[in-house]
Amino acid sequence: EVKAAAAAQAPGSKPFSLASTESVIGSYAVSVQAAAIIAMQELLVIDDLLSALVGIEGRYISIKRVRGKEGYVVFQVDSSMDLALQELTRRIFPLCEDYVLVSQFVESRSHFKNGLVNHALAAALRAFLLDYQAMVAQLEHQFRLGRLSVQGLWFFCQRMMSSLNALAVLVEKATSNNTSGSATLNLLQSQAKAMGGDSAVRSLLEKMTEYASAAYLRMLERWVYEGVIDDPYGEFFIAENKSLQKESLTQDYDAKYWQQRYSLKEGIPSFLTNVAAMILTTGKYLNVMRECGHNVQVSFSENSKLMSFGSNHQYLECIKSAYDFASGELLTLMKDKYDLIGKLRSLKRYLLLDQGDFLVHFMDIAQEELTKKPEDISAEKLQSLLDIALRSTAAASDPTHEELICCVERGSLLKKLATLKDLDCACPADKLAAADVDQSMQLSITGLETFCLSNKVQWPLSLVISRKALTKYQLIFRLLFHCKHVSRQLCAAWQIQQVFRSVKILGTPILRSSILCRSMLKFVNSLIHYLTFEVLEPNWHLMHDRLQTARSIDEVIQIHDFFLQKCLKECLLLSPELLVKVEKLKALCLQYATSIQLLLPSIDVAHSENTSKSLKSRSRINKSQDRDQQLKLASENVMSESILKFEAAFNSELQSLAPTLSNSSHAEPYLTHLAQCILGVRIDQ
Amino acid sequence: LDETEVSEAALVRDILYACQGIDGRYVRYDKAGDAYDLPDGVRVPRSTRTLVRKLCELGWLFRKVRGFISDNISRSPSDAATEVGTVAQAFCSALQEELSDYYKLLAVLESYSLNPIPTPGSDSGVSGNYLSLRRLAVWLAEPAVRMRLMAVLVDGCRGLRGGAMAGAIHGHAQHGDPMFQEFMGRLLRRVCSPLFEMVRSWVLEGELEDVFSEFFIIGQPVKAESLWREGYLIQSDMLPAFISPVLAQRILRTGKSINFLRVCCDDSGWADAASEAAAYVGTTTSRGGLGYGETDALEALVVEAAKRIDRHLMDVIHKRYRFKDHCLAIKRYLLLGQGDFVQYLMDVVGPELSEPANRISSFQLAGLLETAIRASNAQYDDRDILDRIKVKMMDHGDGDRGWDVFSLEYDARVPLDTVFTASVMKMYLKVFNFLWKLKRVDHSLTGVWKTMKPNCIVSSPFYKEGTSIRAQFVSVLRKCQVLFNEMNHFVTNFQYYIMFEVLEVSWARFSDEMDAAKDLDDLLLAHDKYLNSILEKALLGERSQGLLRNLFELFDIILQFRSHADRWFERIYELQLRGKGKPKSKSKESGSWLDGGRKAMIQLAGELFRKMGEDLDSIAKDYTTSLDAFITQLPMQQHVDLKFLLFRLDFTEYYSRVSSSK
Repeated sequence: EVKAAAAAQAPGSKPFSLASTESVIGSYAVSVQAAAIIAMQELLVIDDLLSALVGIEGRYISIKRVRGKEGYVVFQVDSSMDLALQELTRRIFPLCEDYVLVSQFVESRSHFKNGLVNHALAAALRAFLLDYQAMVAQLEHQFRLGRLSVQGLWFFCQRMMSSLNALAVLVEKATSNNTSGSATLNLLQSQAKAMGGDSAVRSLLEKMTEYASAAYLRMLERWVYEGVIDDPYGEFFIAENKSLQKESLTQDYDAKYWQQRYSLKEGIPSFLTNVAAMILTTGKYLNVMRECGHNVQVSFSENSKLMSFGSNHQYLECIKSAYDFASGELLTLMKDKYDLIGKLRSLKRYLLLDQGDFLVHFMDIAQEELTKKPEDISAEKLQSLLDIALRSTAAASDPTHEELICCVERGSLLKKLATLKDLDCACPADKLAAADVDQSMQLSITGLETFCLSNKVQWPLSLVISRKALTKYQLIFRLLFHCKHVSRQLCAAWQIQQVFRSVKILGTPILRSSILCRSMLKFVNSLIHYLTFEVLEPNWHLMHDRLQTARSIDEVIQIHDFFLQKCLKECLLLSPELLVKVEKLKALCLQYATSIQLLLPSIDVAHSENTSKSLKSRSRINKSQDRDQQLKLASENVMSESILKFEAAFNSELQSLAPTLSNSSHAEPYLTHLAQCILGVRIDQ
Repeated sequence: LDETEVSEAALVRDILYACQGIDGRYVRYDKAGDAYDLPDGVRVPRSTRTLVRKLCELGWLFRKVRGFISDNISRSPSDAATEVGTVAQAFCSALQEELSDYYKLLAVLESYSLNPIPTPGSDSGVSGNYLSLRRLAVWLAEPAVRMRLMAVLVDGCRGLRGGAMAGAIHGHAQHGDPMFQEFMGRLLRRVCSPLFEMVRSWVLEGELEDVFSEFFIIGQPVKAESLWREGYLIQSDMLPAFISPVLAQRILRTGKSINFLRVCCDDSGWADAASEAAAYVGTTTSRGGLGYGETDALEALVVEAAKRIDRHLMDVIHKRYRFKDHCLAIKRYLLLGQGDFVQYLMDVVGPELSEPANRISSFQLAGLLETAIRASNAQYDDRDILDRIKVKMMDHGDGDRGWDVFSLEYDARVPLDTVFTASVMKMYLKVFNFLWKLKRVDHSLTGVWKTMKPNCIVSSPFYKEGTSIRAQFVSVLRKCQVLFNEMNHFVTNFQYYIMFEVLEVSWARFSDEMDAAKDLDDLLLAHDKYLNSILEKALLGERSQGLLRNLFELFDIILQFRSHADRWFERIYELQLRGKGKPKSKSKESGSWLDGGRKAMIQLAGELFRKMGEDLDSIAKDYTTSLDAFITQLPMQQHVDLKFLLFRLDFTEYYSRVSSSK
């Protein structure tokens, strides 16, 4: 007041003029009056200011809405007031404006639809505003006691000014972006970082962040410890796609369930970005276990409670330990209760022909059905034949044999490979080559080429053995099955030729034929040997060992996929040009076997007739003997011709395999093995 | 400050009144604006007016809340009892409690307001505890938030009751503000306690203590046999969200099990099971053991109680009422599993059933049934079970024969009629009729075989006759044999299919599921599945109507064949007898007459054979067409097992070759 009086004294007064005492007195009176008015004005302004601080208009202070900006207000002071007072008052206005902004935010964000994080933030802000209001009330008390001037008010407000301003900035950003959930959290964090210089403001913002994230962390806790998404307002960063059912795993080739049932959304809170994937999988594992009806109880201690995400990174430890627990638990569940290894072993047994005695039996009884065209084959009949085969062989003692299913595909193996695009094998040129071969082979395709086994896989094993994995198993099975078939046919041809062991065959086409038969058999058998002993067995053992040390189910899936991919690759299923050649060779073998089975009996008849006749009635009818002789000669000619043809084709095809193998053997060492097996040469020599 | 007419202290006092919904001297409720306000006539500064308005919002909210409470509580007691319900009562009392806190605050403020407000400039020593408008604003900020929440709840609950009300309140509990959460938790614990009490008494005692129909389970007065299926239902609009539908189902079933035991089985052992469950979970069986927010505890209680009570129920059903024995009995007698009994029954009642339906006495049939039981191994079965097998005559029309109306019935008494309801028995009846028909066809085919036994025929005099008649005879007989064999192949395979692929397989599956069933619902489901799979696979389902019609056509043809065959062979025997009688009469009568007789006989025989051949041809043709239709329709069926039937009927691929050659 003294200052105000002094300020009021200044204009228009002439204190040291002796000549005009009256005027001095007069001016004093005026100035006293002016001072009184100013003092009065100051009192009124303080009262107004106290109202304005909580967003209420007064006598001199009015509130104007800013056009175009929803919710923004500007305080104005009456221009009739003393200028200095006006100026000082204006300085306090930003505080008032900030208050209005923040309190509006609190009001609007407390509505239910705005999400838990906003609720919590609003609550924290409200607590802060309550402090602020209490301060205003204190100021009023001072004012009532007559101890408050505008200057004093200005001084007392300083403490609040920067804090409230920081909050107002925050609120402004939140409102303009209409943030909720993790976006709000991110905003809070970045603001706290941006205000790094002002430690008071920074700690205030950090406290706000802590409050606001409490609800979010509770959601995170439920997900990480229970696998439940408790998210009424859609703020959590993990989304659940309820339309995907776990049963789809057994049909869906892409295994969408595992990938997309739970997925990360946009807007992961920045403090969780690094561990988001881990959080997602943790909850996923817990969910798998729940779907299995296995109740998981996480040992819950005070220590593992997600308190805050301060700098000590306690929450990261918690998430890590939750992840370890979930993955360990699920893995034990899979291995112990659902016997994953046993299932894989049974797959190996039946689909990779580990123990094939049932297969021999099956091929014996199903031969007739399988030689039909794929369209005509009755899968039911095959299934019942398979059941017979399984029950009458060693497989009967294996309880898993009931899970086998027969199926008959339509196209050939190459065609199937061409349709599976994601096996990262074929470039388009190769596909063309494959198609080329198909053109000729499509017509003659039988059930033998397209038959394959399948296996019923129950949840949750279908996570590991998905449709895709099973398809890969089937591809290998089809290759093996066909090789076995070729080998059987060649054996049959060889058996027929054994009739001639007692006869002198030196120089006859039969000799040539049996040599060819031998080399074909060697080819097929060494191919089978390569596939089973050089590829499948070692890889399986490798996988088995690695599975023992696997620590999470994702790792198991990865190991299993790796195993399959490696097997596919080394079984040549991923290199079409080689596969085409091998298929051609096999086709040649088959053609040879069938033609031998057709041709030889005629020779056989001729031969035996000849011998019997030569024994019995050597002298009786020379003519007929001649005719027999001719017949025999003719058929032998036919045979030797065709055998020569087969031999040439087979050898050239086999030889053409050599450069292909040796060319790529540097990149793919397994081809060296194959070359050794098939060609019997060391390529590096 | 001279523009103020009214002192601040007076305004403060008025506001404190207004906050309790009372009009003060200056601050009054303005009906037009639906708010408390200072009348325009009162001269106060602008800021004061604004502040007063803001503060009086609390009063407006209070009015609303108190209005709700008084609406619900302060009616005449009898009226309120029917209208409000316990949940609403609990809600109101919880609100009332909150309000009493609020009253306490107001009283404190009132006492503060009595201290004089210092005026600016007066430097008198004042105590800190006075109340200016701004101070009042600070004091009332938090109560206002709380009151606003209560007002929102009150708005949300208007017109709701019981579980729905609890659900609505629960819907507002999802709020991130810790204060809200704490408040709502407190409130909901109070509000839900009646509901939880109902759940508890329902789950542990089977009592539906629900005077105001607030519970999410409602009971209906029904007969004992449909108590399980229809007696109690879930009312989904009364189901609050914090009880999941799965849990609700489980709760429903547990109480239902208790009631079922009490009403239908007349059993009281469940009480031990219930108290055991409660003891296991750790809550007492007395009132008030559960509360909102302890969903785990509730779930644990329900799961335990359900487990034990269902186990008890299953024990009772299996041990006391011997469910499995009855199912087996039904399979043996109604589904013709007991072969000797069926054979004997068929033999005994066969002649009777050929009569027109209206001339058959069911008493006589009952006697015959008893005879069949006595004569077969069925006699060693339990008397209680045998007593339940009854003959039933279905409604019959004009031309019906006994075959069409005869059926067996099994009398399942309480409580097993919950499983074997009237509609289920109707399905069994359908299956029985089908099987009976099949059996009859089989039986009559055997009859044909008997009549044309080879030894009868070899001894036939026609072999001694002239070559032409002999050739005719042989060819006709061969045709007959071929047709018989074809039919027999079909019937045997079909019967094999029905008996082994359908009945036995379904039974084995049912038997497994029955042992695994944990509660009555599982059992009912398993039984339904069993019956449905029989119906489906035995072509009695909706989708195989056409196929069934074809099948019946085939059956009719076979029966026709039988009656024809009977007639033919009767004639043949007749002729044979005449032929046999020949030497005897030869000695007495003259040769010329005899020759004439022989000729006539041969002529007659020739006639007969020709006729027989024609009939055979036509029957064979009908049969082939029907069979063809049947076999071509078979692959169109969805059911996998029916494909097996096809592959069994056509094992040698004879039929597919025939049809492809056409």
